[in-house]
Amino acid sequence: MNFRYPTLVLSILTIFLCMCLVSHAEENDLKFKLKPGANGKLCLGCHTAFKEKLTKPAIHTPLKKGQCTGCHNPHSASHGKLLVADAGNICSTCHKSVVPANAQSVHKVVAEGSCTKCHDPHSANSKFNLLKGGNDLCFGCHKEMGESVAKVKFKHSPLVKGCLTCHDPHASNKAAFLLKSDVPALCIGCHKTDRPNFIKSHMNYPVAASRCTSCHDPHGSDRAGILYNNVHKPVVSRMCNQCHEEATSATPLKTKKSGYELCRGCHSTQVNSMFAKNMVHWPILSKEGCLSCHNPHASKHNGLMKGDLITTCGRCHHDTIRRQEKSQTKHEPIKDGKCVVCHDPHASDNPYMFKKATIIDQCATCHDWQKHSTHPLGEKVRDPRNKNVSVQCLSCHRSHGTEYKHFIPFPSTSELCVQCHEQFKR
Amino acid sequence: MILRATRFLTMSLLLLPAASFGAETMTLKLVQPVLVDAKEGMMKSPQGVACTSDGAFFVADTGNGRLLTYTFKDDAVKGGGEIKVPQMTSPLRLQLNSKGEIYVLDGKSRRILRLSPQGSFLGYLDIQGLPAGAAPVPNSFKIDAKDNIYVLDIFSSRVLLLDPSGNFQKEIPFPPQHGFFTDLAVHTDGSIYLIDSTNSMVFAAAKNAAAFTPLSKSLKADMDFPGYITTDRGGSLYVVDQNGGGIIVLGADGAVRTRMLSMGWKPGLLYYPGQICLNDKGFLFVADRDNNRVQIFEIK
Repeated sequence: MNFRYPTLVLSILTIFLCMCLVSHAEENDLKFKLKPGANGKLCLGCHTAFKEKLTKPAIHTPLKKGQCTGCHNPHSASHGKLLVADAGNICSTCHKSVVPANAQSVHKVVAEGSCTKCHDPHSANSKFNLLKGGNDLCFGCHKEMGESVAKVKFKHSPLVKGCLTCHDPHASNKAAFLLKSDVPALCIGCHKTDRPNFIKSHMNYPVAASRCTSCHDPHGSDRAGILYNNVHKPVVSRMCNQCHEEATSATPLKTKKSGYELCRGCHSTQVNSMFAKNMVHWPILSKEGCLSCHNPHASKHNGLMKGDLITTCGRCHHDTIRRQEKSQTKHEPIKDGKCVVCHDPHASDNPYMFKKATIIDQCATCHDWQKHSTHPLGEKVRDPRNKNVSVQCLSCHRSHGTEYKHFIPFPSTSELCVQCHEQFKR
Repeated sequence: MILRATRFLTMSLLLLPAASFGAETMTLKLVQPVLVDAKEGMMKSPQGVACTSDGAFFVADTGNGRLLTYTFKDDAVKGGGEIKVPQMTSPLRLQLNSKGEIYVLDGKSRRILRLSPQGSFLGYLDIQGLPAGAAPVPNSFKIDAKDNIYVLDIFSSRVLLLDPSGNFQKEIPFPPQHGFFTDLAVHTDGSIYLIDSTNSMVFAAAKNAAAFTPLSKSLKADMDFPGYITTDRGGSLYVVDQNGGGIIVLGADGAVRTRMLSMGWKPGLLYYPGQICLNDKGFLFVADRDNNRVQIFEIK
């Protein structure tokens, strides 16, 4: 009985689907006044290559049924390839439920309507009309991930099985990054947190509700336990209680001190040298303290940074990063995400948290300006626009770029020069 | 009597649009830039400015580690005397209380100094009666007309309300979702405003409210990096766009009314401005940090 009931439901659904397709076919026959029996055969008369496509194991249902008119208009269309709708929208006319209404994350290609980046709209050798099978398809775009996963010493077995073990290829209504569930629920599905091994490896700390990916790289790493490649020393030496209260305490995950005061316990030289400067980067003094930019346990990035510097610095300095993105000329250190080439991210006595005392000295660490520029610069050269400022590199350039070339704040060089050299203004 | 009432009503109706649209039509006319001290010494990266109704104004000449005192009367600036105390290395922001005492946030010690009107060091703001917890780290503060002090404590993510003697009155925690707060403003009606620089948002707490709620949506399209906020008597909010070189006026509802000034070096333009001060004579003082000057504008 238990077996029969689902079979019955499945049969009803199949019949219903066939009825829909037949009715759709009839509709097309009427719409285009096709000759009896012409539906599906007529197109193949000219498009002979499709005969081969029809031999592939996965064929798009309309094509299988000979309904080319499901997607194409045989006479004329406003869209390329005689499609009846825009290529970016046509799939969603049938596949409406691909993106749930309350999606928390949507695959970029899906949002763009670029379904054909993954699927062949006619037929393919892989199921779901996928252009490639398994992870190869994903790694076609996510190349860096593919290369890193291939190289890592310790692989995460679900990833070996396939990206789709954890990710939904289209959209997720449960989590970011197309995850089928949010972390840690997704991880706990496989890793039972009450097992002695799990408890022991986490030093008896109750981490079941913690975010696993703050320490572990779900895509594999070169460290045992797939910890991120850069691990904070106390974590390596399993000295959780160096920062956290004892595992047996009532609040085991609570840190012993707040903000930068916790880090100062070990990094006292660094913190003391910061506080000796005139200006400390404000986020260090906030509740998050050093964790505004650093991960306390492990990170993919050097210096336990939360992300690359463009991302980390850009969390607050979004306007500066945006200016660089829009800039016609790119300033290399910024383009390469090396904000710390010029700025001290912790503290400084200098303007803009520069590493050097003056703007000219700062720029001169890369630009040997005296050799290529004859424009007078320096403390003794006053800016005609404002005699309280001297002429220096930023008198003409904005180091993070402008919408114009060479980081200048005016559309043309002549417009820039006549700001001071007014006698040449036309 | 009826005639008076009618006149009053007519006048009120006529003035209503002017009050509502005042901000949209508001412009700033440069009165003059202030460049030097009494000895013709140049300012260096001034980040703070405070002003009084009788025309006095004080400048935090941050790069020179000193304050400068001026008077501004009949469109003329006089003075430029220096205040220097060893406890003050990097003055960032200034406030004055009703007695004329100068409160200074020092960037290096991250403490608030109290100076006499003449500039002698009276002591640090000594906060008494704080609930147990970490010592505050102020990155800004304000003083209201009754000399109550409001401290933006970023270390403990809260605003501290203190009486004029520095006694703890209450605290309001930062809202749960926020970026980085760089300043707060206090209106005469007791409302407190926070400016979230990284999200370009304003949060507000009405008098006696226990929490901050968003007042504006993200204003990233209207400003680059807001660094300072203050209010006028009418309830308009003035936000300094530090990285964009401008001043944005918001209505009491958080909506953008107008943007004033732009980036540059010439008189009347701003380059990474810091603190601003509005006095009740309709003048606006701007610490024009990277132009090494303070500029005085008339609000029209």
